[in-house]
Amino acid sequence: MIQPLRKTHRRIFLALALLLPALFLSGIAFRHSWPAPSKTQKSAVYAAPSGTTP
Amino acid sequence: MSHQYQAIGWNRQKRVYDVVLLAGVMLYIALFIGFGALLFPYATVETLIIRAAGSAAFLLLHVVLCIGPLCRLDSRFLPLLYNRRHLGVITFLLGALHGIFGIIQFHSLGDKNPLVSLLTSNQNFGSLPDFPFQQLGFLALLILFLMAATSHDFWLRNLTPPIWKSLHMLVYVAYALLIGHVTLGLLQSETSPVLVLATGTGLVTVLSLHVAAGSRERVVDLKKLSPVAKAFIDACSVESIPEKCAAVVSVRGERVAIFKFDGKISAISNVCRHQNGPLGEGKIINGCVTCPWHGYQYLPETGASPPPFTEKVSTFRTQIVDGRVWIDPKPNPPGTRLEPSRIPDAGVQA
Repeated sequence: MIQPLRKTHRRIFLALALLLPALFLSGIAFRHSWPAPSKTQKSAVYAAPSGTTP
Repeated sequence: MSHQYQAIGWNRQKRVYDVVLLAGVMLYIALFIGFGALLFPYATVETLIIRAAGSAAFLLLHVVLCIGPLCRLDSRFLPLLYNRRHLGVITFLLGALHGIFGIIQFHSLGDKNPLVSLLTSNQNFGSLPDFPFQQLGFLALLILFLMAATSHDFWLRNLTPPIWKSLHMLVYVAYALLIGHVTLGLLQSETSPVLVLATGTGLVTVLSLHVAAGSRERVVDLKKLSPVAKAFIDACSVESIPEKCAAVVSVRGERVAIFKFDGKISAISNVCRHQNGPLGEGKIINGCVTCPWHGYQYLPETGASPPPFTEKVSTFRTQIVDGRVWIDPKPNPPGTRLEPSRIPDAGVQA
């Protein structure tokens, strides 16, 4: 009576065992790469003028 | 049992189960919102509620899905199975809370009907990172609703256990949809490796437990016994059956539970009439075979529940020859009385 249900359950999980990890890994692999905020704000460095100062 | 229907047939175990469940859920949500407000002060209350309810529902669904195979692999988990339907209903309610707040926050401020907006605002079905993940969650919620609505014994009885169980197998579809919902939704915007690791661990746990339990069941099913003389089948030795317990054998593709009690042997179908629970994993309590899942009881000699209950399972003729139990593979109609086989030289144990 429940043999067919057990068989269905086994088949469902064999399919899910292939499908879900593939979905999960590809979802992670293909996600957008967001720009990371820079942690240290460098102060502006200005080049020293060449030549003699007025 | 099924003598009459009640909204919930409360007993002490169910009360304790539900109190622990509700306290756990409330604590989780309170901690999530509390710490969320502290760590992310820019997050709105609605956002915290959406995330708390959604993560609680997702976590509970993992628990619900793990209970079944855990019980197959180790009977110490059986107390968790007893009231699993309440876990499922709470999972749906948390999912509904998540969905309602999500619709209010993201779809109720425009010109469109919020449901129409939910279903049509994103149609990037060809892009994985921009996939309309909210539709996946909505479909999963519909399935969880269907299951919560039909979780009562009334539906189990009227739909019959095989159909009811087939219907409730949709939970696996809901789980697959929710893995998609989380992976293509939350995990696209939140890049924390902790979230990825937690989701991946949950997925691997659910899949491996089900595959392991399914493989174990398959081993029992493949041990099909073949009839020899007089159409009886050599099932097992009398010694291998513990007192007031059963040995389970597979006969013609279905399982038979052979019980030993008080110096006698009786064989009945292994399938409980309530939810198809494994009777052979239960014990004889007060003279009745007691299902380990919800405590439905059957007399081993007749396969019938004691009055006033009306459930009946098939019985099988048995013989004992040279210390081995032989059974007739042909099942008798449910409730047919058969005299148990006496174990030679067995002392009657109380």
